[in-house]
Amino acid sequence: MIIGTQVSINALLAFGVTFVIITGGIDLSLGSMVAVTGVVAATFAHPDTYPLAVPLLAGLGAGLLFGAFNGFVVTKSKVPPFIVTLGTMTIGRGLALILSKGRPVSNLSDPFNFIGGGNVFGIPFPIIILIIAFLVCSVILNKTILGRYMYAVGGNEPAARASGIGVNRVKMWVYTICGILSALGGILLTSRITTGQPNAGAGFELDAIAAAIIGGTSTSGGTGTMTGTLIGALLIGVISNSLDLLNVTSYYQQVVMGVIIIGAVVLDSAGKKERG
Amino acid sequence: MAETILRVKQLSRSFSGIKALDNVQLDLKKGEVHALMGENGAGKSTFMKILIGLLAADSGEIIFEGSHLENSNVSDTLKKGISMIHQEMLVIPELTVAQNIFLGREKEVTRKSGWPSLWLDDSEINRKAAELLKQMGVSIDPEARMKFLSVAQMQMVEIAKAISNNAKVIIMDEPTSAISDREVATLFGIIRELKAREVSIIYISHKMDEIFEISDTITVLRDGKYIATKAASELDNNSLIAMMVGREISQMFPENAGNHGEVVLSVQNLSSKGKFSDIHFQVRSGEILGLAGLMGAGRTEIARAIFGLDPLEKGEIKIRDQNVRIQSPQDAISKGIGYVSEDRKGLGFIPDMSVSDNIILSSLRQHRKGIFIDEKGKELTVNRIINELRIKTSGTDQKAVQLSGGNQQKVVIGKVLLASPEIVILDEPTRGVDVGAKVEIYKLIRNLSEKGIAIIMISSELPEILGMSDRILVLSKGRQTAVLSGKEATQEMIMKYAVA
Amino acid sequence: MGMKFNAVYAVFIAGVILLGCNQSGGSESGGENAGKKLVIGATMLSMQNEFIVNVSDEMESRAKALDVELITVDAERSALKQVEQVESFIAQGVDAIIMNPCEVEASSPAVKLAMNAKIPIINVNSETSAKPTAFVGSDDTESARIAMKYIAEKLGGKGNVLIMHGFMGQAAQLKRDAGAKEVLKANPGLKLLAEQSGEWDRAKAMSLTENWIQSYGNQINAIFAHNDEMGMGAVKALEAAGLKNKVIVISVDAIPDALQAVKKGTLDATIYQNAAQQGGTAIETAIKAAKKEAFKKEVLIPFQLVTKENVGEFLKQ
Repeated sequence: MIIGTQVSINALLAFGVTFVIITGGIDLSLGSMVAVTGVVAATFAHPDTYPLAVPLLAGLGAGLLFGAFNGFVVTKSKVPPFIVTLGTMTIGRGLALILSKGRPVSNLSDPFNFIGGGNVFGIPFPIIILIIAFLVCSVILNKTILGRYMYAVGGNEPAARASGIGVNRVKMWVYTICGILSALGGILLTSRITTGQPNAGAGFELDAIAAAIIGGTSTSGGTGTMTGTLIGALLIGVISNSLDLLNVTSYYQQVVMGVIIIGAVVLDSAGKKERG
Repeated sequence: MAETILRVKQLSRSFSGIKALDNVQLDLKKGEVHALMGENGAGKSTFMKILIGLLAADSGEIIFEGSHLENSNVSDTLKKGISMIHQEMLVIPELTVAQNIFLGREKEVTRKSGWPSLWLDDSEINRKAAELLKQMGVSIDPEARMKFLSVAQMQMVEIAKAISNNAKVIIMDEPTSAISDREVATLFGIIRELKAREVSIIYISHKMDEIFEISDTITVLRDGKYIATKAASELDNNSLIAMMVGREISQMFPENAGNHGEVVLSVQNLSSKGKFSDIHFQVRSGEILGLAGLMGAGRTEIARAIFGLDPLEKGEIKIRDQNVRIQSPQDAISKGIGYVSEDRKGLGFIPDMSVSDNIILSSLRQHRKGIFIDEKGKELTVNRIINELRIKTSGTDQKAVQLSGGNQQKVVIGKVLLASPEIVILDEPTRGVDVGAKVEIYKLIRNLSEKGIAIIMISSELPEILGMSDRILVLSKGRQTAVLSGKEATQEMIMKYAVA
Repeated sequence: MGMKFNAVYAVFIAGVILLGCNQSGGSESGGENAGKKLVIGATMLSMQNEFIVNVSDEMESRAKALDVELITVDAERSALKQVEQVESFIAQGVDAIIMNPCEVEASSPAVKLAMNAKIPIINVNSETSAKPTAFVGSDDTESARIAMKYIAEKLGGKGNVLIMHGFMGQAAQLKRDAGAKEVLKANPGLKLLAEQSGEWDRAKAMSLTENWIQSYGNQINAIFAHNDEMGMGAVKALEAAGLKNKVIVISVDAIPDALQAVKKGTLDATIYQNAAQQGGTAIETAIKAAKKEAFKKEVLIPFQLVTKENVGEFLKQ
């Protein structure tokens, strides 16, 4: 249960970035989106101000706008997504500090804090969000036309364009979805630590990308599954948790994690060679 | 008879139980051009990989200059004098021509000029490269970056590299697949020069006319087995194809009924700066219009512009008397235009996607329930196409990249057809496709035209253009120089207008 | 596809095995602790910060001396990670938790979780808004007071001062700011020229000081940096501009580098915060709380001003 709760945020971000990576892109602004959306949600979540829906919609809306902005710049500018989102990563961090005036936004309402800390039928609420998000993302990827187009765009963008697919629209969608999932992660984080932290989420993008890659998503695009990503996220959670409890110094933990990321990709490409 | 430089006996190699090469033999004489022929999958590339030491053989002997080549790796065979010019040009684009030629041998050059061995003597490398290129009679700046060279120029550099390596055997894998006719002439000149210097060439190509023009001897492989070795003069087109395919092909091109309807597509005054200008033609329903011309004449560029892949500078496109503006492939498809690209790997299909997903890609919107994919309807359609086009696949789930070239091409054609086009542009529809599969694709094209689809077919193979087209539009340097009737045109006429 | 999943599963299984090992290890220590050995879990703000590492080292050696098992984890400056680590400690059934909080607000849920689970939690070095079982640390406001008073004294109550903040919003920054402003108010002759965050970082502090030198030049009389890392950065920038002997620099923590600088006279003074005493007291308090013995709810370790005169005794420590 604890591991489920602990991986929930990383898994949500990893789902988002899996969509992006499948189309051959990358999103480095995840962590900053977590901070911005968390601060925005927290701003509206003080007790006795607005009903719970307001902070939630505000946070998700902020994520949607941020993601759509990423998508807009990526599709209109022809600048590689790595650069674009490296830029928006810094922009997001700045926005979070501006919106919060550099101070943590605290004193949040009980209903809001329930999202990250509460239980439903004995199951921690973050796990429920995680499961729902997983199902929705899997369906989008496997059962919808949009999902199929994502694979096509990442598998061979010129061919996808020549097949009459609106490549830019597909990209707009994936960055926007990624923004919304990041916002969900941001809200969850804010609720769990009962504070909107402008400095929160630093480095989250790397954990999320690592989860997707360990789960078999190819960084060159065109392949990847939500199940794989979920396993990747669980694996990272299980390992860092175990290492903590085994009292392995954090210095060694980083080394172990790096070895696992490389190991997963090596095993994966060894498998590919055997097949091809 | 000249002496033998390379003899291969009973060479075999299996991959996971399947015999890719089965008792293959070869007898290469000094200074001969020896063509290695066979359909895709016949085992040519496995054979060549073993020769250059990239793969090990399971059994068999390779005797080079009287001594056995065993367990050798690429750098061994290179030193002994066997070089290969790969189809996909293994060059370093950011390095210069000279640096590429002497890549891995910088120390030799440096040592000879007396510098300490860690020193990179680029000026000596440049001087030597210039000398070498001059000897070959090609004008390429040795200090130019590789990436700015044309494919033909890169090939020359690769040959220069082989010569500087003192290669006694040079393997050329489809060297003319991406270069213009004029460049082919230069290449053949160099090959003849190499022959005169007693260098032996193993020449792999699908282009029949070239084989008969350049080669002395022809060895044919089929399904991994050695079939025969004959002097080129003993063979002709048909007998060679029969050896490769294993059966007589009575008729390459299907009958043309010649039933044409009304004009479906007409273009006026089509221009695009630096690519083509003032193009005008019409295509009727059921008609096949051939676009002929040399490499770089603007044929593909015209197709890309009509299909909305590239912007058009000026000109009008009419579909059934309606002026249309096409700004993207999406527009083109919705207006009834289909395009089968010459660049199958780049624009045709998504390699890692299944056969079924590739076939359905352009018509996914017609197979949906809300935002979801209608999986059942999709499978029905896909299976219908697979049957109609006779696509050979182990199942609809097989990845498209695993199919043979001909079947990949059929998948692309299937995808285009499913979007129900009125006009189909086929750009080099049989490039990289086996002879057997070619015949099937010709039948397929004829079927489409008989169903009333207007077809524009671009091809560099003149027999194909002549065999299939009702009319032939000839282009030269971006201008249209003639429109010929398919029945009356000859190869000579086309060539005359193509160089005009 | 199949192959790819095999690879993923292989790694996953490796992970599960790792977890399995750990669980057996965990239950073993859990079973034993009723009889003899206590288990204490500690989560530290960042093991890349020298001061925190000093605190942690002392905790480690004291735990060994007192024969308790100490599990130390690194929160890597993330409050979320810290909360999760405390959750894991609770699940593992440790006897007491020592937390070196990342954030005042955001680390508070961890305190609440531990209190709800009835496991004593001791905050060390900095505070959270939720009240823990006990607090061991130093009053950061006091350190800033000492520093600003030193400046006021050296300048004779008159001059222009710059303040370099730590990460905005963190307890140490907020408190050191409050202490500094208090003294400024009491000394109207001291003028605050500018204040900015150097984010606890030497390099950032250096470029910040360079900018200040450009804007204010000779007007600068003194700089107060919230920690030694930033203080050292300021000293470097001032030395490069040839202004060091005109400007007083004081900072907090007394890290070895800073002590050396005080000895050489480049840094005018630092404030010694006793890492060893904090770490040791934290362990002692945790053991007492776990054994339900009497303990102090708040232990404040006093700060000491370190100048050239008394730096010798600190260098020995």
